[in-house]
Parts: sequence; structure tokens; C-alpha cells
Amino acid sequence: MNKFNDHMAVEFDSVSRNESFARVVVAAFAARLNPTLEEIADIKTAVSEAVTNSVIHGYEDEKGTIRIEACIVEDTISVIVTDRGVGIEDVNKAMEPMYTSKPELERSGMGFAFMEAFMDELFVESKVGQGTVVTMRKVIGKGEDKWNDKIK
Amino acid sequence: MVENRLYELSGETLIINLPEELDHHVAQKLRQQTDYLFISKRIRNVIFNYEKTSFMDSSGIGLVMGRYREVRYLKGNIYLVNINPKMKRVIEISGLYKVAKRTDDVHSALEEIVEMAKV
Repeated sequence: MNKFNDHMAVEFDSVSRNESFARVVVAAFAARLNPTLEEIADIKTAVSEAVTNSVIHGYEDEKGTIRIEACIVEDTISVIVTDRGVGIEDVNKAMEPMYTSKPELERSGMGFAFMEAFMDELFVESKVGQGTVVTMRKVIGKGEDKWNDKIK
Repeated sequence: MVENRLYELSGETLIINLPEELDHHVAQKLRQQTDYLFISKRIRNVIFNYEKTSFMDSSGIGLVMGRYREVRYLKGNIYLVNINPKMKRVIEISGLYKVAKRTDDVHSALEEIVEMAKV
């Protein structure tokens, strides 16, 4: 079981209604790993956070294209969310919990913290004026126990 | 009370019956609508009813925190009710319980609000 080596890519416009489209697409792709409902929820939340960042911060609600690539190698799913937007000047600062560059939009500043909490690995690369690449990985099939430990 | 309406008003308490998914797309609409309600009505408490909600990301957390900032000036409270296990995880990680109270359902939140008004 779980011996897939698959790849998919999808591109869509940077508009907020595509946030739900993006997380459903990735969740459907991940389904072949036979994840638990919790694992699916984790992936959906993380993808939603990354895509929302691209919509709000990367393209600042202007026209743009967001690309999602995902691959499965054995029991691990990797998701790469790329935008060619404004980029992040200080990635470390952006990743601090509760920090937001847009408090006026009621951003909670928890986007990256959620991606970190719900996935096993998170990498963020960004260049000002060129865009941002968010790479996330999650091992499927051991998530549930780990989660219960974390909450207690 | 009609349960399928998005907003209900009970005295100075606004009840928001949240939709199934609460992401940035939905949250920005709810924010506009609640901003309007806050201007046109006197609202001291807000009850977020998660009964139908199965997805929430950090945009939903931002929506609750934004309403908290508004009600705290009137010494009001935010209540999160009908929290299912999915929502529980997201809410616990976010630390929302530092600013919001949790009760079982809308009815018990309204009862607590009445009790607090007596004190």
C-alpha cells in the first residue's frame, strides 16, 4: 500500500473564490494515500493558508496566476504553491506567529503558523519583486497519533 | 428563533450562524456585513455558532479577533458555540479561547449573557 509516485500541477487566477477550489483539488489528489479525515483537514487548511497569502499579499488582490504542484512519493505528499507577486522582504518576520503586514484586513497573522502546525515540513523562499514559493510536506499514515499527542 | 438565518439579533447580542466553510473568501463578506450591523445596531456580545461549519482557516480566526476588538470597548463578550472536533483543533492552536468564551450551544451562551448582566 501507499507506493504511489505521482505528480500533478494546476494553475488558476488569483481570486479569493479559488481558495476553496485549490484546497479541494489538493485534497482529492492526496486521497489516494488513504489519509484520515484529520490528515485531509490538515492539508486543506495548509493549502488554504498558502493560497490566501498569494491572493492577499503576493498579488495584493490584483490580477495574477497561482500555481500549485503536488507530488506523492511513497507515503509523503509535497505541495508547492508558487506566485509571481510582490515577494516577501523578510521571510523570518512574516513567519512569526501573530505578525501581519495587513492588520487593517483583519489578518490574524497565523497563516504560516497554521501551515507549520498542520504539515510536517514547511519551506518558504521569496524574492522581492519576483514572487514566493511555499513548499510543504506531510507524511500520511501516522498523523492521527501525532496529533493526539500534540493536543494533550 | 429561525435557525437557518445567517444573522440573528437577541437584545444586544448578535448571533452569527456560520456557513459550512469559513475561509478568506467567506470571511471578507461576513466582515462587511457585520461591520454594517455594528454601525446600525447596538451590539455588545457576539455568538459565533459553528454548528454547520466543517472548515475554518486563519481568516476565520481573524474574523473572530476583529469582532472581539469591537465588543471589548463595551465590556461585551465573544462566544464560540457548537464546537465540533475539527473546529476544536483549529481554535486551540489559534489561542482564540484567550479572547472568547466557549459554551455548548446558542441557548447556553444567551443564558450566560443574561446572568452576567445581573452581576
